[in-house]
Amino acid sequence: MEILGTEKLTKKYKRLTALNELDFSIQKGMVFGLLGPNGSGKTTTLGMLLNVIQATSGSYRWFGKPPTPESRRQIGAILEIPCFLPYLTAVQNLKIIAEIKQCSYQAIDKTLETVGLYERRNDPFKTYSLGMKQRLAIGAALLSDPEVLIFDEPTNGLDPKGIVEIRELIIEIAQTGKTIILASHLLDEVQKVCSDFMVLRKGEKLFQGTVEDALLSQKTIEVGSSDLEVLKNALARFSGIKELTMTADQCILKTDSQITTTAIGQFLLEQNIPINHLVKKEGSLEKEFLNILSEHE
Amino acid sequence: MNRLLKIEWLKLKNYRPFWILMGMYTVFSLSICFGGMAFLTWLKNQGADFNGFNPTMLPMYDFPDIWQNLAWLTSLFKIILAFIVIMSINNEINYRIIRQNVIDGFEKKDWLISKLLLNGAIAAYAVLLVVIGGLITGMIYGHPDSRASMFVNTHFLVAFFFDVFIFLCFAMLLIIATRKGALLIIGLLMYTVAFEPFLAFFFYDFPRMSNEFRQIADFFPVQSLRNLVPFPLKRYGLMEVSDMIPIRAMLIATGWLIFNIGMTNWILKRRDL
Repeated sequence: MEILGTEKLTKKYKRLTALNELDFSIQKGMVFGLLGPNGSGKTTTLGMLLNVIQATSGSYRWFGKPPTPESRRQIGAILEIPCFLPYLTAVQNLKIIAEIKQCSYQAIDKTLETVGLYERRNDPFKTYSLGMKQRLAIGAALLSDPEVLIFDEPTNGLDPKGIVEIRELIIEIAQTGKTIILASHLLDEVQKVCSDFMVLRKGEKLFQGTVEDALLSQKTIEVGSSDLEVLKNALARFSGIKELTMTADQCILKTDSQITTTAIGQFLLEQNIPINHLVKKEGSLEKEFLNILSEHE
Repeated sequence: MNRLLKIEWLKLKNYRPFWILMGMYTVFSLSICFGGMAFLTWLKNQGADFNGFNPTMLPMYDFPDIWQNLAWLTSLFKIILAFIVIMSINNEINYRIIRQNVIDGFEKKDWLISKLLLNGAIAAYAVLLVVIGGLITGMIYGHPDSRASMFVNTHFLVAFFFDVFIFLCFAMLLIIATRKGALLIIGLLMYTVAFEPFLAFFFYDFPRMSNEFRQIADFFPVQSLRNLVPFPLKRYGLMEVSDMIPIRAMLIATGWLIFNIGMTNWILKRRDL
């Protein structure tokens, strides 16, 4: 089921095109990473999808229908920084949001427990640390138990402990089956959390696909031997190798997904070729991301 | 409607400056109501004398004139109420609450309506203070025979409501347009208590001007509202004072009402939050 779809979504400022004819769609249950360097149009995109930035042209659909305030109430979102009235406590701020989202106050205590702020619920927002503010924002997004959550740079400006806390919170939420859109420039974060991702740069979509595929295309196996020529000839007879590159002391293989290091080791042993190195290298989204960016240079 | 007003209440009820300004206005408004007689007594002790009358004999607190008198006098302090509107919207702009409210499911229109309801509630409170102050002081200082006409001329209370309400909408438009709360508070104060009254005085009273030219002052954003409740105290100089709300002033004020709300709506619609 399609949760979100856009058609030629465009935002132009006077001289700058912040977003150019963006088409993409998100299916139910996806944890969707929106990647891109700073200024690539991530927040602009999310702002348009949440009706706070006017699109210059193009359209979008939430839950298969044109957007309405009702559809926004089924979305929990934080955009950039946590926005609350500083002189109100967590509970007082969440009451305002509960009224706007038309959900009951009963959810407030539970939500504050989920994000670990229950003890501090009656302290003014301005006394909170950045991590607590960010957690309250996530709590506010969760308040009406929405179908879809949108987090824009949720770990921005946090210390390492705070980053881990927020990441664990998002993983927990993802496990409940909600659809999540996560904009970030922290690739490690997207790799750990997301199922799908899209890469934006200067308002253009460069890539959309699953994280799994991206990592797979990055997977390599390194094999080393004292006699590289013999090794190379032997490996040429092994089926399932898509690409073989040589370095000074190793062969680097790109293989089909089902090929394991065990199979290669076994094969070389049968061929009586001594090896001194056999390692599987997992890919990283970071590499893939840099590849995608450099392909479009 | 109730929900939108409740949201405003949740935003303001724990905001201390709101209560301080409300308290200030309440004190000023009631002291205008109750202080009139003290002022007249002071005048008397200073030896003032109006053509042989002693100032405390002025029937300022007699019904039904009291409504026009008090509405005109307390209207001088409505700028304090405008500060509440400016500060609360300024906070919402600075802390990006408008944006978050829209993200959470408001339409920009809902936000505007909630602010209009707040303005209406504040204006209603200002009227309530005049009603309370008028009833009490009218019973104490007014001539007992005047009580029969207690509910005459209460249309000035309605006019006073619109005077305050439209002024608050003017303040709302200015803060939405400028987004500079502190500057606006100083600017609006200077404009309302000094600049425009001076300009209006110039237009109304400067000699050798054509009548058409004088009427320009009737269209000033603040003076036009002041004209809803015409200056009543001239009647104690034995001059004729209308006890009707001038139709022309009503039309001009309505024009400002539509402009203030319409412009605010237009700016909000166009602006990215």
